[in-house]
Amino acid sequence: MKKITGLDCIILVDDDKITNFINKKVIKRADLDVAIKVNSSVTEALNYLKGMSQHPIEEYPRPGIIFLDINMPGMNGWDFIDEYKKLPEKQKKRIIIAMLTTSINPDDENAANQIPEINMYLKKPLTVEKLESTIKDYFPILN
Amino acid sequence: MSTTPPQYKHTELTFQVMVDASPNALILVNEKGKIAYTNAFVEKLFQYERSEIIGQEIEILIPARFKSHHPGHFNSFFKNPKARMMGVGRELYAIKKDKTEFPVEIGLNPIVTVDGNLVLASIIDISERKKAEERFRLVVESASSAMILVDKKGVIRLVNTQTEKLFRYRREELLGQKIEILIPNEIRGNHPKYRKEFSKNPEVRSMGSGRDLYAIDRDANKFPVEIGLNPIETSDGHMVLASIIDITERKKAEENSRNYTKKLENKNKELEQFTYIASHDLQEPLKSITGLSEILIEEYGDLLDQEGRDSLSFLNESTERMKELITALLNYTRLGQKSKLEQIDCNELIKAVKEDLASSISHANTSFEIDTLPTLYGYPTELRLLFQNLINNAIKFRKKERPSIVKISAQKQSKAWQFKVEDNGIGMDMKFSGKIFTIFQQLNSKEEYSGSGIGLAHCKKIAELHDGDICVESTPGEGSSFFFTISTKIK
Repeated sequence: MKKITGLDCIILVDDDKITNFINKKVIKRADLDVAIKVNSSVTEALNYLKGMSQHPIEEYPRPGIIFLDINMPGMNGWDFIDEYKKLPEKQKKRIIIAMLTTSINPDDENAANQIPEINMYLKKPLTVEKLESTIKDYFPILN
Repeated sequence: MSTTPPQYKHTELTFQVMVDASPNALILVNEKGKIAYTNAFVEKLFQYERSEIIGQEIEILIPARFKSHHPGHFNSFFKNPKARMMGVGRELYAIKKDKTEFPVEIGLNPIVTVDGNLVLASIIDISERKKAEERFRLVVESASSAMILVDKKGVIRLVNTQTEKLFRYRREELLGQKIEILIPNEIRGNHPKYRKEFSKNPEVRSMGSGRDLYAIDRDANKFPVEIGLNPIETSDGHMVLASIIDITERKKAEENSRNYTKKLENKNKELEQFTYIASHDLQEPLKSITGLSEILIEEYGDLLDQEGRDSLSFLNESTERMKELITALLNYTRLGQKSKLEQIDCNELIKAVKEDLASSISHANTSFEIDTLPTLYGYPTELRLLFQNLINNAIKFRKKERPSIVKISAQKQSKAWQFKVEDNGIGMDMKFSGKIFTIFQQLNSKEEYSGSGIGLAHCKKIAELHDGDICVESTPGEGSSFFFTISTKIK
């Protein structure tokens, strides 16, 4: 198992339990020493991020990557970004946000490119290759 | 010998009284061009005392610029004396004592008396008529469409600036020409016949109703027109005032709209085709996936660990969901197709919907407060689905802590019935009020509240099918009110 510096935890934000099941399998297959937190709604994900400072790091490990779905019931991926912007800079500095979506609407990709908080725009399904290239781009691997 | 029979005197007197009382100015002029007699009206018209002008030359009543020609005309009249109008085709003017000029019409009658040859001139002041003509000319000139005044013989007597612009002729090139100059060659021949028919039965109407009319300009460009005809009485006899509108743009717009409709029809056919593909071609592989995963579970399930078996059951779940979504999409596209408008008693409709939903109503223990609802024209199947979806939602999104109540009422608006379906359920944040009517959009997770996310999209489409709309008012934790309208003018 590889330990990536700065990548203690990956958060999956998706309402679809099957997608989360598959993505968890993909991350496990990449053989990373990393915690996986599944948030099935935007509200849940925001609560996790806001609660980090009040909870011990063992319960609320620091996320390095957030994989964010766009199309979710109630608050969607865009709404998440709006709320995320309000978080303290110090916390956000350590987090990479990758939008992970089935959307084939080019407007979504254009919109994502306009938002500095969004580091990557990926098409579902998540694969080991996509995960590894994300890590390569943003996290120096220390053996 | 007795002289001068008394009867003659009497006749002469009567004649004088008659002449004097005439409302026309009458002047007798002798062969030398001197005024021999005037009636009372001449005094009024020319402002001279009778005694001032009797014995004067007739030219005293003629403006200076015409004076020099007059003796010539005067002499030629006496060479060939017969009753006629003076100066046909020319505009005649007279001048008063105070030197003001005014337009006149003058009738001439030769009279032979014992005192020699005289001419009786009857003079009519046509100022008012000229003013009326000028007013008419101004009205025609200010019209926004081309207007052409045509006389009985088909000769153009008056045109306005719009006519010059439309036909690219200068005014003087048109006046006096036959109207047929503005008609394309191929239909020119029939036009005099149409003109005669119109003058037999003159009435305000549009020309050639049902036929496509064309005009032609100076450069022989043909263009489609619409023409209105107005018979007009003038001092020069019956005329027709034609008002002409260039309808090139309108024709183009009609053509565009026809093309657009055709494209739309094609699109609709494509959509039907899409529906067919969705129903058969997409469902087929889905059924295979379901079948195959069942085989895997039943025959190879024992060989798999828990995660493997979970994967297979998730596979089944996904397939089922896709089937649902395809069916919902199909139903959405089919809404309103092949439906017929019928008279619907909404009270009966709600009763039927409640019977359909009886088990979920009793399970949720929902009570209803339903006002007297109207009877209206609509699509029965669709309207029933609309109510069913709204009532279903009200039950589905009830607040567990309190008994659920659904209120239904209707209000007449100017052009529609507005219905209100109100619940005391969980409500929602109004920032989602637009999103909920979009196909496959849900506010709550599938785990909490099942469904395809198409119910309210259906409702919106059904309201629109009835030329109406749908909207929501809601307070989180208190409940939602859905308002939708059904047009009373729907056809």
